[in-house]
Amino acid sequence: MAVDPSLAAGRVYPPQAYEVSREKIREFADAIGDADPLYRDPKAATERGYLDVIAPPTFAMLPVLRGFDQLVAELGVTYAQVIHVNQRFVHARPIRAGDQLLTTTTLESVRSAAGNVLLGIRCEIAAESGEPVCEATATLLVRPVDASDG
Amino acid sequence: MVDVGDTLTERQYQLTRADLVRYAGASGDANPIHWSDRVAVAAGLPGVIAHGMLTMALVGRLLTEWAGDPGALVEYRARFSHPVVVPDDDDGVTLSAAGVVTEVRDDGLVGVDLTVTVGAEKVLTQARAVVRPPGAR
Repeated sequence: MAVDPSLAAGRVYPPQAYEVSREKIREFADAIGDADPLYRDPKAATERGYLDVIAPPTFAMLPVLRGFDQLVAELGVTYAQVIHVNQRFVHARPIRAGDQLLTTTTLESVRSAAGNVLLGIRCEIAAESGEPVCEATATLLVRPVDASDG
Repeated sequence: MVDVGDTLTERQYQLTRADLVRYAGASGDANPIHWSDRVAVAAGLPGVIAHGMLTMALVGRLLTEWAGDPGALVEYRARFSHPVVVPDDDDGVTLSAAGVVTEVRDDGLVGVDLTVTVGAEKVLTQARAVVRPPGAR
C-alpha cells in the first residue's frame, strides 16, 4: 500500500513508555562492540557522577523505534519498504538504567519524491518527571510496495 | 586544549552478518532488509545491508572514546548516503571512520566532522557531532 501524501503533517502520536534496564544497555553495548565500563559497571558510573550505568548515545534509537512503530502501523506500510535517510540526536543528558522514558512522536512533514514518500519525524524523549532527555529527528523514505523492479 | 584541525585517530570497524543479527536483536530493529537477501533484493538493494544506526553507533565509539565519556556527546547526526552491503562470509565489510575538529565554541563545546567510508564510498554524509572535549569536566 502506498502512503497517502495528503496525510496530515503535524500529527502527534500518544506517548510511548520505555523502561531502561542495565541488562538492555549491556546487550546493546555488546552489539555495537563497545567495552566502556560506564555501560556495565554501576560503580564505575557512580564514580563518574552518574546515578547508574549510562547508555551509548545511539541507544536513544530504542525508544524512538516505539514511535516509528506507531507511525508505520498507522500508515499501513511494512519496514521492508522503509529506508532510514538521516538521523539526528540532541542529548540533554545520557539515558541511564532505571529511566522510565516517555517518547512523543510527531509526524512533522510528508512529501513525495520520485514516487516515494519522505516522512519527517521528531521524537521528544523525556523522563517520567518530564525532564527532557533527548530530541531525535529523522527522515524516513517509504517506497511504494510495487517498486521492487525499480 | 582542543583546537580546530585536531584529528580523531582513524578507526576501522568490521561488520559481519552475525553482527547485524546481534544488533537487530539488541535494538529491536527487525527490518528484514538487514538479514534477508530475498527481501533486500526485492527492495531494490544489492543484498543485505547494515542498519544505518549500527554504522552510526560504531562511529559513535570514535567520538565517545576520544571524549573519554559517552555522556560528553551532546549532538550527533548523519545522513545514510550509501548502503553498507554486508556479504554473507566470514570477513563481512570494513568501515573506516575519521574525525576532525571544525569548531571550538565559546561555551567550550567542539564541533567534529566525520568521514565514514567503505572502500572509496562515503556511507555517511553530513556526519557531525557536538562534543564536550576531553578534559572539560
